Amino acid sequence: MSKEILDSIADKEYEHGFVTDVEQEFIPKGLNEDIIRLISAKKEEPEWMLEFRLEAFRRWQKMPLPKWAHLDIPEIDFQDIIYYAAPKKDADRPKEIDPELEKTFDKLGIPLHERAALAGVAVDAVFDSVSVTTTFRSALAEKGIIFCSFSEAVKEHPDLVRKYLASVVPVGDNFYAALNSAVFSDGSFVYIPKGVRCPMELSSYFRINAAGTGQFERTLIVADEGSYVSYMEGCTAPMRDENQLHAAVVEIIVEKDAEVKYSTVQNWYPGDKEGRGGIYNFVTKRGICKGSGSHLSWTQVETGSAITWKYPSTILKGDNSSSEFYSVAVTNNFQQADTGTKMIHIGRNTRSRIVSKGISAGRSQNSYRGLVKMLPGADNARNFSQCDSLLIGDRCGAHTFPYIENANKTAVVEHEATTSKISEDQLFYCNQRGICPEEAVGLIVNGYAREVLSKLPMEFAVEAQKLLQVSLEGSVG
Amino acid sequence: MEDLIVTRCSKVHRIYVLGGRGTCCSDDPRLPGGRHPLAEGGTSSPQSSTTTIPQQIVVEGDAKVDMVVLVYPGVNCDVKLDVHLVGEGAEANIYGAYVCGGDEKVKITVDMHHKVPHCNSRQLFKGIAGGRSRVDFYGKIIVAQDAQKTEAYQENHNILLSEDAKVDTKPQLEIYADDVKCSHGATIGRLNEEEQFYMRSRGISLEDAKVLQMISFIAPVLENIQDEAQRESIAAEFESDIRNIIRGL
Repeated sequence: MSKEILDSIADKEYEHGFVTDVEQEFIPKGLNEDIIRLISAKKEEPEWMLEFRLEAFRRWQKMPLPKWAHLDIPEIDFQDIIYYAAPKKDADRPKEIDPELEKTFDKLGIPLHERAALAGVAVDAVFDSVSVTTTFRSALAEKGIIFCSFSEAVKEHPDLVRKYLASVVPVGDNFYAALNSAVFSDGSFVYIPKGVRCPMELSSYFRINAAGTGQFERTLIVADEGSYVSYMEGCTAPMRDENQLHAAVVEIIVEKDAEVKYSTVQNWYPGDKEGRGGIYNFVTKRGICKGSGSHLSWTQVETGSAITWKYPSTILKGDNSSSEFYSVAVTNNFQQADTGTKMIHIGRNTRSRIVSKGISAGRSQNSYRGLVKMLPGADNARNFSQCDSLLIGDRCGAHTFPYIENANKTAVVEHEATTSKISEDQLFYCNQRGICPEEAVGLIVNGYAREVLSKLPMEFAVEAQKLLQVSLEGSVG
Repeated sequence: MEDLIVTRCSKVHRIYVLGGRGTCCSDDPRLPGGRHPLAEGGTSSPQSSTTTIPQQIVVEGDAKVDMVVLVYPGVNCDVKLDVHLVGEGAEANIYGAYVCGGDEKVKITVDMHHKVPHCNSRQLFKGIAGGRSRVDFYGKIIVAQDAQKTEAYQENHNILLSEDAKVDTKPQLEIYADDVKCSHGATIGRLNEEEQFYMRSRGISLEDAKVLQMISFIAPVLENIQDEAQRESIAAEFESDIRNIIRGL
């Protein structure tokens, strides 16, 4: 296989890199208590929310930057970031969505009009620091389902928010979670009442637009007893030479016999071929299987971001609860990813399964980092992990760092990992049958990632497959 | 501690025994091995043991090193193996077995550095943790950027026997070259009850069945002791230790 073909595959452009020209309002750069009060005031938040933010900020100030990941993170000046940016509301038509914004989301394939929307998907669209609109709200409300922006939830459902906020990811959990707790702007809130099966896919779409800003969204999903919901998350950002910070927190609470399926297609701007620009994606996602028989499933396709630092985790507290983690992480050019999961088994008969597929190309570094922990009470708990890495090119790295801890003699943990490259034989076989090298690589990579892609909701699966091919363009050599 | 340098085209086979009744042996008379006989009568207080395992093991081109590290019950140890494959065609095979039944703290660290192309390495560590013992395994394979055609495999398997024992394992892969075959596997589990049922239905007592299971569990490590008489005496010693642990359960 020739070097040129591989190079051409790795060269594919980032197609969501445009900037929307809307009038936006910003708050001053920097981070201090006044800024936090200002954000809170902009969002017309109650006193308890402001207190929550300030406490988080005070703790964040005392926390050191995490350095343990296998990442080379340039120094971030947290005073050089704008923590709140919102498109200005048109005073004449306050009820309408700005046509520019609508166009933006249309271009991204996220229709904001319910009639035009993908059948069966309700969307919460977040543009920089605010939620633009949430579709199908009333249809969902009939079933008692709450699906709205986080800011609205704080105002309209304060009891629920107060009960669950920071119950899974405490304020001082880690550096970026504390930062998020202090400055978070918008995100989605989902509440599925007892015994309700959510009739459509819920989805949030995050878009960074403004320069010099960071996005700090916060998502809270609560599935009450016996309920079911499938939630998807997507994201993009414009192409810029600067690095922008995205530090989100996602908390999921799964009560007795409930089931939550959480899917992400992460496609933040990854930076250019020389490694300039791109999003720093430092995200804390954690769910708790609180009640017995509950189930939480994570599926992620990570193709974007200059640096990814992300470990969706599950605390298996309820007896007989189970969790799955399926991940495909692709890095190309100078991208770096340190991603994986944590499965903390507390309850009896808890089950978890981890399937992680890493693909690294160009000069990228791709690491899987995971923890499987069996606590003394986790009788008959079971875990199986499989982490495979595929290397494309001789200047990239693939690493596997699993941590396995077992303190229960009836618990069984299994882990296996392999690292290999696309073999000449596989490529030769395809070429022989008239499949050109780029297509062959796409085919092989899709086959390799199939186990994970097949877990994605249909609407996402098609997009994810295309994305895989695009992300690897120019990497075959 | 000194370095072990396996020179070009040579072969070295070494066995390091920690604890036990002093069956230790090595092909190098300068290395006495860390033998610390267990007090007869089986006191439960573990004895500390220092190892004479070399600080660094350097394997040159076309050379081969085979090592077997054995840890008997009653030994606290912190074994560090730092292996560097520095010449093309170098090969390193590291095997280890540990059996703990009391308050032992066993820590094993392996760093396998593949620095040049065409080297092979294999690691196999198997262990049994009973009593209130604490086992930590940390094994890392590091393949440098130009170390193409590397084949590196690592396995760590553990059996937990008691409520109060704890095993942590951290097998790591750090790979900077693409034309490689690397894998690692780690498990922590328990004795298979179906196997026990099979044996008991054929008239084997539960105690004997467990001993058989555990002996066969560590057998793939012991197989790599080349001297037959030595292999048998080591296996016999492990068997009697395992039987003692099972009786104490």
